[in-house]
Amino acid sequence: GFIYPESGNKRGLKARLRKLIPCSVGRRASARSQSNVEDELELSAVRHRPEGLEQLEAQTRFNRKELQVLYRGFKNECPSGVVNEDTFKDIYSQFFPQGDASTYAHFLFNAFDTDHNGSVSFEDFVMGLSILLRGSIQEKLNWAFNLYDINKDGYITKEEMLDIMKAIYDMMGKCTYPVLREETPRQHVDIFFQKMDKNKDGVITIDEFIDCCQNDENIMRSMQLFENVI
Amino acid sequence: MAAGVAAWLPFARAAAIGWMPVASAPMPAPPREKRRTQDRLIILNVSGTKFQTWRNTLERYPDTLLGSTERDFFFHEESNEYFFDRDPDIFRHILNFYRTGKLHYPRHECISAYDEELAFFGIIPEIIGDCCYEEYKDRRRENAERIQDDEDNENNNDLVTPHMTLRESMWRAFENPHTSTMALVFYYVTGFFIAVSVMANVVETVPCGTFPNRPKDMSCGERYALAFFCLDTACVMIFTVEYLLRLIAAPSRYKFVKSVMSIIDVVAIMPYYIGLVMTDNEDVSGAFVTLRVFRVFRIFKFSRHSAGLRILGYTLKSCASELGFLLFSLTMAIIIFATVMFYAEKGSTASKFTSIPAAFWYTIVTMTTLGYGDMVPKTIVGKIFGSICSLSGVLVIALPVPVIVSNFSRIYHQSQRAEKRRAQKKTRLARIRAAKRGGASAYLQYKRNGLLSGALDEASKEAGQALVSKVNPTFESQHHHLLHCLEKTTNHEFVDEQTYETSCMEMSLANQTRSRCSSVSSSPHGLSSCCSRRSKRKSFHVPNSTTGGGRHGSVQELSTIQIQERPLSNSRSSLNAKLEETAQLNCDQPFITAAIISMPTPPVTTPEGDESASSPDYSQSNIVRVSAL
Repeated sequence: GFIYPESGNKRGLKARLRKLIPCSVGRRASARSQSNVEDELELSAVRHRPEGLEQLEAQTRFNRKELQVLYRGFKNECPSGVVNEDTFKDIYSQFFPQGDASTYAHFLFNAFDTDHNGSVSFEDFVMGLSILLRGSIQEKLNWAFNLYDINKDGYITKEEMLDIMKAIYDMMGKCTYPVLREETPRQHVDIFFQKMDKNKDGVITIDEFIDCCQNDENIMRSMQLFENVI
Repeated sequence: MAAGVAAWLPFARAAAIGWMPVASAPMPAPPREKRRTQDRLIILNVSGTKFQTWRNTLERYPDTLLGSTERDFFFHEESNEYFFDRDPDIFRHILNFYRTGKLHYPRHECISAYDEELAFFGIIPEIIGDCCYEEYKDRRRENAERIQDDEDNENNNDLVTPHMTLRESMWRAFENPHTSTMALVFYYVTGFFIAVSVMANVVETVPCGTFPNRPKDMSCGERYALAFFCLDTACVMIFTVEYLLRLIAAPSRYKFVKSVMSIIDVVAIMPYYIGLVMTDNEDVSGAFVTLRVFRVFRIFKFSRHSAGLRILGYTLKSCASELGFLLFSLTMAIIIFATVMFYAEKGSTASKFTSIPAAFWYTIVTMTTLGYGDMVPKTIVGKIFGSICSLSGVLVIALPVPVIVSNFSRIYHQSQRAEKRRAQKKTRLARIRAAKRGGASAYLQYKRNGLLSGALDEASKEAGQALVSKVNPTFESQHHHLLHCLEKTTNHEFVDEQTYETSCMEMSLANQTRSRCSSVSSSPHGLSSCCSRRSKRKSFHVPNSTTGGGRHGSVQELSTIQIQERPLSNSRSSLNAKLEETAQLNCDQPFITAAIISMPTPPVTTPEGDESASSPDYSQSNIVRVSAL
């Protein structure tokens, strides 16, 4: 069915001006071409039904009951069947009331939205969870790499890592001990790169990343932390 | 945190894997999670309507009844469900709150019923969603106002202490003219004199015919100066007396002097006195003439007589901000247009627009669409701006007026409803009292039949009391047993009003013929407190029957009341017999005891009984106190 259209925050100035002229038709700014209808119509046609329970069972490592519980929770918060970025940010921010979790939620959203269509459907959601909770270490590390690699080009640069780090520190808010300083994220990134970047070329590849993590006991142990969350 | 979001916590925890590689310190151990029990369905049976939901849904809000262990009190083993004996329609909304996290207020429900349900289920009303919160608050405020209204009226009307001082009764007469004939007479007399005074002021200035040696007509005031002066004096005397009486009777003189009505009173009568003082001094006679203008304020004294006038005043006060806005916007517009018109008309010859303040008059007259025509623009530009001025005037004035009108209408209807409620209240209370009385006399009927068990059907049939509950004989019999126990405890018996009344009348007759110390047996129920002015000794205070006290009867002196152990007998003649007995509780002084006699309005002949009234139902009965001889 239809997918919930992107909200207007990416709309360009030209598009806004075009809207003012009565004869023009509002266009969605996103890349896809389903956008010849008015905004009001778009808003109403939002329903997404997930694939059947058996298929999801086959594709993920959850059993029927777990999928049922997950879907009920999901559908309760998002009756339309898909989560768009704003809702996602909203929900995630509720868990971190002291800081600003929206930047990190943005990265997280991109990590879950594997087909990059601007919304997270139940399948995306459940597949992501399946990897995180029931996947092998390799898969989890893969997922983490994917999260850090913002432009999905296979390399983590220092800038990307800095963005991620800042987003994580933002979630802490400003009332911390010891007090957060400006350069703390940068220092943290430097330490991280020192550890991970074996050939010192300024970027981290997937192999370097997985290698290094597998050799680090702390990281290995912490990956097992959330196995039985569901 | 919103309830539904709790379902996403597993997701948030899973996503925390993203921090692991960059963590600078090792992670803490996860909390030990007991084997999660499968989520179960709970059946909630609310007065027959079954609701089902997941257990986790209810436990989202652990500080409410349904979310905590408190619901175990309502668990019904036989049907393995939770049973609540409440309204299912309102419960629907409460359950939806658990499901969606938002509490809604259904507009068709009564606000107090809804509040009760919320209180029962332990939900605070403040979490009502924004969509319904305003409506809820409005209804609640309305309800509170209505209750406050009723309470105020009750306090005003029923504030009858048996020993009201003259001052208090005077104040009461002034505030509520309907309480006694004197007050009503006073009310109408003052109203009449206000009208007379105002008419006199008006007629004074009417030209009354010409005199040969006067160039123009004389006004009636000058022609009949003496007559008008006498009339004025009379009115002012009445007003002064009224004001002084109110001042004396007021419970708080300072508050009374500050109140609006008293200021109006003062302003109405002061000019006369100032005039009296100043007639000799010719210099200030100009000011004296000005003072006469204040006599017109007497017309405001009518606001004590007219509720509509008071409502108008109250409306204007409550719409002060709208009126202020109206005034402000008008002033702005006047200044703008006056300036424009002045400069537009500056060029034209013999223009009346000599200055901007002079143009104010034109602007006001045009904006209020009066258009006297004494000042008109002559240039084309002036005419254009003049027309714009009149069009905008209509708009500016029309905007705040509906707000004021709707305010007035709301307040007026509120007071109408209050009046209606007050009128209906009397009949409603009377009917409720009749119902209660029915219940009380069920016991007497029951006793009369001489049976201590199972005579209920006969009793209800005989009495014809439709209000006796036939459905619950166990309750009735237990209740009667309880009353019987009370009788045995106090060694007195319950009787009904009429018997009591007749017996008391006999007693009073007997009292008057005797002048010796005698004790009258009286039950605690039928007597009111007797604070004798001569002495207060061992009086038996019975609080519940005093309320009817000073209302209609005359309060007379009373000496002690003596209680005697009455012999258990059902005969009527025992009453007279008791008069002979002299088992007095204190015989130091030869007081003549008197009884408080209750004289309820419907005299009914009934068979035997004793003189005690049965229950606090008889509070409305009149009590006449018999003086001691």
